[in-house]
Amino acid sequence: MLEFSKFVVVRGVLAIFTLVLVSFIVFSLMEMVPGDCAERYLSFKNSQGSMISLADIQAERIRLGLDKPYIQRWGVWIINAFQGEYGDSCILRLNISQLLGEKFWLSLGLCLSSLILAYVIAIPVGILAATSKNAFLNNGLRLVSYLGLALPNFLLALMIMLFSTVMFGDSLTGLFSKEFRDAEWSYERVKDFLGHVWLPIFILGWSATAFAIQTVRALMSDEIGKLYVTAAAARGVSGRRLLLRYPARHALSPIINSLGFDLNRIFNELPIVALILTLTEAGSLLIEALARSNDQQLAGAIIFLLTASIVGINFITDIILALTDPRVRRSIVG
Amino acid sequence: MTDTTNIDVTDDQKMKEAYFTASQGQLIWQRFKKNKSALAGAWVLIFLILSGIFAPFLTPYDATIAGRDKGYLNGAPQIPSFCDENGCSLRPFIYTTERTRSIKTNFRWVTETDTSLEGRRYVEFFTKGIPYTFLGVPFETHLFGVDKGMIHIFGTDSTGKDIYSRTLTAINTSMAVGTIGVFIAFVLALAIGGIAGYYGGWIDSGLQMMTDTVRTIPSIPLFMALAAFIPDTWSAEMRFFFISMVLGLIGWPTLARRIRTHLLTERNQEYVLAAQLCGASPSHIIRRHLLPSFTSYIIVDLVISFPYMILSETALSFIGLGLKDPVNSLGVMLQNVTSADVLLNYQWYFIPVIFFIVLVLAFVFVGDGLRDAADPYSDSSK
Repeated sequence: MLEFSKFVVVRGVLAIFTLVLVSFIVFSLMEMVPGDCAERYLSFKNSQGSMISLADIQAERIRLGLDKPYIQRWGVWIINAFQGEYGDSCILRLNISQLLGEKFWLSLGLCLSSLILAYVIAIPVGILAATSKNAFLNNGLRLVSYLGLALPNFLLALMIMLFSTVMFGDSLTGLFSKEFRDAEWSYERVKDFLGHVWLPIFILGWSATAFAIQTVRALMSDEIGKLYVTAAAARGVSGRRLLLRYPARHALSPIINSLGFDLNRIFNELPIVALILTLTEAGSLLIEALARSNDQQLAGAIIFLLTASIVGINFITDIILALTDPRVRRSIVG
Repeated sequence: MTDTTNIDVTDDQKMKEAYFTASQGQLIWQRFKKNKSALAGAWVLIFLILSGIFAPFLTPYDATIAGRDKGYLNGAPQIPSFCDENGCSLRPFIYTTERTRSIKTNFRWVTETDTSLEGRRYVEFFTKGIPYTFLGVPFETHLFGVDKGMIHIFGTDSTGKDIYSRTLTAINTSMAVGTIGVFIAFVLALAIGGIAGYYGGWIDSGLQMMTDTVRTIPSIPLFMALAAFIPDTWSAEMRFFFISMVLGLIGWPTLARRIRTHLLTERNQEYVLAAQLCGASPSHIIRRHLLPSFTSYIIVDLVISFPYMILSETALSFIGLGLKDPVNSLGVMLQNVTSADVLLNYQWYFIPVIFFIVLVLAFVFVGDGLRDAADPYSDSSK
């Protein structure tokens, strides 16, 4: 037990260290964007009619603390970031954690749901594909997983959207109907939400599912050929019992291990799918922040949050692996 | 075994000898040839790459706004035919179209097709068209054209640009972005993975930590953050190089990891020890023993990472942060299909999408085939 808690603590410290490194990369990148918050804000004011001088920009810089050295500002930023505080958005002049708040959790929920969907589909289908000798089924599944890569999510989203526009006259966009967009959470709002949310989950999960099927299939067919499976079969275990008790358990560990990277892949799809489906959550907020306004403060916060959730997932999967896989457990306890 | 003749035995031996003396490349090629889908993918890929490279010759018009057809905006594809009610002709032809506006059409611009004999435009081959330079030599011959007016076999877009010409040029651009991106990623991966793998120890741990951190950051959001650097004042060419560089700068970790793992296992192999005992210098060992041991794997990895580069470029251009007009890339072309109007009225905008899917699929097939072929255990496992 002591070794185990030591393992958890070491992993936790490593995860936090990774996050600090990530924050340094993200902060430096955001720092390299031409122009800073003060200039941007005042040039916005300028366009509203008031006259701005260089002295005003300098005063604004001091007010925002932008005159302090780089490392010091990073330190302040990272300490605040770990407390869930990201300062104010450059353009919108709103507190970022308030601005993101619910939106971030919604999009994280979306991504996690599509990750779960991907594996709920992929594990049985992948096992089936690995054990079945049916050439037709195997080739069909191969084609689907190839299409998962070649037909990017945004293209799929576009096609489904346009198809439904033509067929049903409803473009299926957004996460809520108009009347529920800013309403309080209620039974009706949840119902409305569930009616909309399946499409983004499906589209986000599309290529993840294709990849997962391929992974599960490859792992299973590797394991099935091994001697311990033959030995188990010789002892009279057969059928589903054999598959689930022996090769499937072995194949599970690498899958749990790669969950973090699967989430990473889904995050990659999020902004683009969000843009097409006009979901007003974190993904499209990022595009808004970057493309339209160069809002480095907001963009940095979003990238940091996304990476933090991946690091978090990696941390959790490490613990789960240590709990479920006797081999890993052995190596910790020693 | 008893009924095999002597000739068979010698043949068999020759084959075995050929097998054991074959180079890595020959072995991979032998295994690759057996994989039908990968071979088909390779042919499609070669065809697409060649049509991208020879795009100026294969396409009748300039792909930028300079080659627009003012009289045929949002025009449907013109498929050459041999026969109509006015009789047949040995030379395929299309019809002349004209944009008119009158009281008959409620004063809206409509495109009228002249299907009479006079309205026929005959397709010609090796026509003289807009001049271009290929490999530094000026040319003005194009594969095909029509005797009068213009021909658009894939139709035109809203500004009258020829979609066929644009698609072939776009393949070229996307391939170029991918090549530069893969090259930069490769150089970085070779340096970082090579150092980590060759030295091992704490250098390896430090570099691994860094590689893993970069790998954790979701790349598309990071691409977007980097692409937002690009000031509006940059020219299309500068954008192009910047985007390729960004793709390369973020794409290296996976490759670096593989090179490092490979070097770590290879440098403890007996043949390296044997070479060291014979007194070979480290540079000799790296050049003559370590590098040849994994060049084939690197090539395979590069082919596999190619479609991801193309996909990333497409995604970036698609949201408007990547390449922009007048540069044609597949992503720029895909951007045009986002409106419902296109699906309802201008379905030919989707033709580049087909090219895009086929290109990525071909790369994936070839990459998978190469990976299986380069795996020395792929034969024995079956």
